[in-house]
Amino acid sequence: MAHLNILDVTLSFGGLKALSHVDMKIEPGLITSIIGPNGAGKTSMLNCISGFYHPTSGDIFYKDKKLTHASPHQVSNMGISRAFQNLELFSGLTVLDNLLLARHQHLKYSFLHAVFFYGKASRIEAENRYFVEGIIDFMELEPYRKSLVGNLSYGVQKKVEVARALTLAPDILLLDEPMAGMNQEEKEDIVRFVMDIQKERGITVVLVEHDLGVVMDISDKIYVLDFGEVIGSGTPEEIAQNPKVIEAYIGED
Amino acid sequence: MSANSWLATGNFYTTYKQEQKTFSTSLDRSFFTLFLVILFAWPLLFEMSNKNMLVIDNILIAVVAVMGLNLVTGFAGLISIGHAAFVGIGAYTVASFCRTIGDTHIIITHFWPLMIIVSGLVGAGFGAVVGLPALRLKHLYLAIATLSFQMIFQWVINFASFFNQGQTISVGRVFWVTGKVGRDDHYFFWYYIILVVVVLLGFGIRNLLKTRYGRSLIAVRDNDRAADAMGMNPGLTKVYAFALAGFFAGVAGALHAYVYRGVGFESFTLHESIGYLAMAIVGGLGTLNGSFWGPVAIKYLDLQMEHLSEAMGQYLPSGMNLTTAMKPFTFGLVIVLFLIYEPRGIANWWRIAKSYTKLWPFRY
Repeated sequence: MAHLNILDVTLSFGGLKALSHVDMKIEPGLITSIIGPNGAGKTSMLNCISGFYHPTSGDIFYKDKKLTHASPHQVSNMGISRAFQNLELFSGLTVLDNLLLARHQHLKYSFLHAVFFYGKASRIEAENRYFVEGIIDFMELEPYRKSLVGNLSYGVQKKVEVARALTLAPDILLLDEPMAGMNQEEKEDIVRFVMDIQKERGITVVLVEHDLGVVMDISDKIYVLDFGEVIGSGTPEEIAQNPKVIEAYIGED
Repeated sequence: MSANSWLATGNFYTTYKQEQKTFSTSLDRSFFTLFLVILFAWPLLFEMSNKNMLVIDNILIAVVAVMGLNLVTGFAGLISIGHAAFVGIGAYTVASFCRTIGDTHIIITHFWPLMIIVSGLVGAGFGAVVGLPALRLKHLYLAIATLSFQMIFQWVINFASFFNQGQTISVGRVFWVTGKVGRDDHYFFWYYIILVVVVLLGFGIRNLLKTRYGRSLIAVRDNDRAADAMGMNPGLTKVYAFALAGFFAGVAGALHAYVYRGVGFESFTLHESIGYLAMAIVGGLGTLNGSFWGPVAIKYLDLQMEHLSEAMGQYLPSGMNLTTAMKPFTFGLVIVLFLIYEPRGIANWWRIAKSYTKLWPFRY
């Protein structure tokens, strides 16, 4: 049974079909990549899964829960978190606060506990801090712990973005072009993190990425989108042989 | 931790619990304690006239109201132009009790702490209802929605005979353990009560900001799309922010009713709403200490302008009417100057001063 079932999803804005009849199965514990040329509908697909868009028709199931019409916070409370392509960090806050924020749903104490900050609230916040420190350690963000996110370099901000999504302790992590605009070294870093996330933490990763070299190297399964349609799916080897994919990327000869 | 906490050159925390402390160093804590002691002690040392004491009570009430406004506008980023109406809701909660059970009823005179809390809760209720448009509206549109609440409030008060058409509804003198609070002690007594309220609520906000309930406000302000993806319900958070602000305003309103021993609509007009907003901006939006600086600065300015226009009135021809124009003029000027030169408010000066003294005598 697939973790995430995307059944016949169509998303249209007026006359434009961003996605048409897309079927995908995201298997647990694997890295599934979605690739395609610009405007193929990759980010739209992620937006549909994470609740920012709702499909015009078709359904999305997570395990046996339907999340076709769920709002983003409901989706993330079910255990699906995402990192944004265009940085959507809380830029006026420190890295630490950004990550602490993401633990919102995991902190269970009442408003009164919070106002008086005794017992439960204090204890849970200390545990929260401990957990976040684990993520900071994992993502190698120690030097930036207390710096304002807005002042950090782009590469580090991208890392914080991934770290924040990871802090939600999700089952499925949606990464929207985590390597866009990075140099070779930073890319290698992120690839290492993505693989660690899957192997060490056992989190299912859905990766949207332009860098074909990276995608071919680390993916277990690839879906290729073009003009909102799935034109190919399978292992990296199968994709590399798929004539339709080659056509979409290189053009006809 | 170093052996002597007074000589420590930094914070050497060994547990995450230590990091949660409100005051990070002993020096911070003792300065704050000293400040509180001064606040509590000075009325005992200096003789103040009733008139001056009223001004100070007034400032403290504004502090309570502005703390609430700062939560919704400063921390949650939702502009509210109806804050005086929420203060009015609190005041008129007390007033409606006075109208129904009599202004010298034991509930009004003996159980006034209860009345203050009830007013706060009623304010919170109204805040939540007025906050509902925040589920759909953003920015300026939301501000207009709060403005409409201000208008509705004024209209209802002015036309409802239950509220005496906005004319003063009197509130009885309260009792303390020592007996009835008399005319001479009235403002003196309320100074202490309001001070205690300010300190309690201030620590409440301080604590709240360390928890998920405070962080969600800031998250919604900075980026509500991301807040949504982080598992917060932005709509609900905004409504909750308005409810919080309503609570503070309600408490401030009840205090206002008791201090003035009467409730009239002119204290809760749009003009006052703008005034609260100005105090929040001048003090520093999104800071806790800004809620203290703002009211002090604006009320002090008000007072000085009054003196100045009185003095100038003697030299200018009475037909010129410059003196009445001067108060709103300086008020507007101060806000504009702050928005241009110090949008982060007086709280920023405080921050700069603090970081300077931290390093002194070294430059960096």
